[in-house]
Amino acid sequence: MKIAYYPGCSLHASSAFYDVQTQMVAKRLGVELVELEDWNCCGATSACKTDNFLSIALPARNIGIADASGLDELVIPCSSCYSRTLVSQKVLADNSDLRDTINSELTKKVSGRIRVLSIIELILKQLNSKDFSEKLKYKLEGFKPACYYGCLLTRFPYDIKIEDNVENPQGMDIICKKLGAEPVDWNYKTDCCGASATVNDADVALRLMSKIMKDAIARGANCIVATCPLCQFNLDAYQDMVGEKYGIQRRLPVYFITEFIGLALGISDKDLQIDRHLIDASGLLKEIKQV
Amino acid sequence: MSSATVKFQPEYSQPILQEIMEKSGQNLLSCYQCRRCAAGCPVSDEAGVTPDRLIRMIVFGQKDEALNNLLVWRCVACYTCGERCPNNIQTAKITETLKQMSKKAHLEALSPKIASFHEAFIKSAIDNGRLSEMDLMMTYGKKNAQHELKKGGGWKAVIAELKGQAKLGLALYKKKRVHLGSEKVKNLSEIKKLSKKAEELK
Repeated sequence: MKIAYYPGCSLHASSAFYDVQTQMVAKRLGVELVELEDWNCCGATSACKTDNFLSIALPARNIGIADASGLDELVIPCSSCYSRTLVSQKVLADNSDLRDTINSELTKKVSGRIRVLSIIELILKQLNSKDFSEKLKYKLEGFKPACYYGCLLTRFPYDIKIEDNVENPQGMDIICKKLGAEPVDWNYKTDCCGASATVNDADVALRLMSKIMKDAIARGANCIVATCPLCQFNLDAYQDMVGEKYGIQRRLPVYFITEFIGLALGISDKDLQIDRHLIDASGLLKEIKQV
Repeated sequence: MSSATVKFQPEYSQPILQEIMEKSGQNLLSCYQCRRCAAGCPVSDEAGVTPDRLIRMIVFGQKDEALNNLLVWRCVACYTCGERCPNNIQTAKITETLKQMSKKAHLEALSPKIASFHEAFIKSAIDNGRLSEMDLMMTYGKKNAQHELKKGGGWKAVIAELKGQAKLGLALYKKKRVHLGSEKVKNLSEIKKLSKKAEELK
């Protein structure tokens, strides 16, 4: 099965290992990811805050490339890219004038045929096949993750319907259970980590992350699992700072969901580049058992 | 939390209300002040203003207050307020609109760091077609330093910020999470065309 793939800028820079993991995991699951040719930055939240037109037009160029690819689905692992692409698609479906204006500037026009998937949706599609269970070599016993969805997987600034529950999403929890992990029930699943505020408004970001960390720890989690590269980056890179400021002693490794699946499929931690975490993520790996 | 009484100024309310409703695409008149947005807003402690208050200021024509409050800048665009609003008002779209209006009116950003960050981000995304994290941090750092010096924080404040970034940068470098190079879109002229169009439409 071939699916179009939009890595986005983070997966080609600070979260390059997430790109590596996504490609490896997809391959093992029999999904061929076809990277969009000559894709561009989606503009992320910064475009919304500075320029309405660009916030729709930048993702539109990628949508045009995906629509012209002949493929039916496009997977976007980064939550921000995923959200902005879905929003652009929705706005252009509702506003034909804007669609015409943007299309007149594009070589590959937006037609609206591609279906956008998050990484969770892509994995859930594979999960129930018999094949998937047979491919699982290891059980993530002893992993008690706090599944962290963040803002942009479920909440949108436009009327966009998703299959999961908006306030208490389950997709990542379902995947974790299938892999033998025991996700904890907690309160901060869809709360904000502060996103770029870690750089430009640190007081806000550190406080928001302190709430996430405190609740995850209080609920008995021994790790966090995320899909958004910025959520992962913030909770991983700034966790010491949060801990020092808010008197939190414990540190939790912050995994990508692709690391969980990769490990369960028998991909080595070396190949998954799990050594790129700032908060050591190797301790829990001893818990993994053969199926 | 702001407790100032909001005064109704009918002669001012119509133009600003219309402008913001049009630009943000939000129907502010449907707000009945239930404050579900306020209950969910993660930055209200730091901003001192909740989404319902901001909406009320605009409806009552308090343009200066609406443009000059920290919610406009510290809103993290988490969309919690909009998700929970029974009338589907997305306050994040309103804060985005106010940021853009403030820039257009050449008002000094209440939080220059936040303004500089987003401008630096878009500049890098447009210059190369793809964001270069290095580019972003350099441009942002430069803008930030200029502002810090202008407002009288002096080199001490600039150096303190750079020290913090350098410490984190080194930790990231050790884990191979720093990317020095930048990627460029091949068809960069298409990105430039979109950027030009954006300027025309402003």
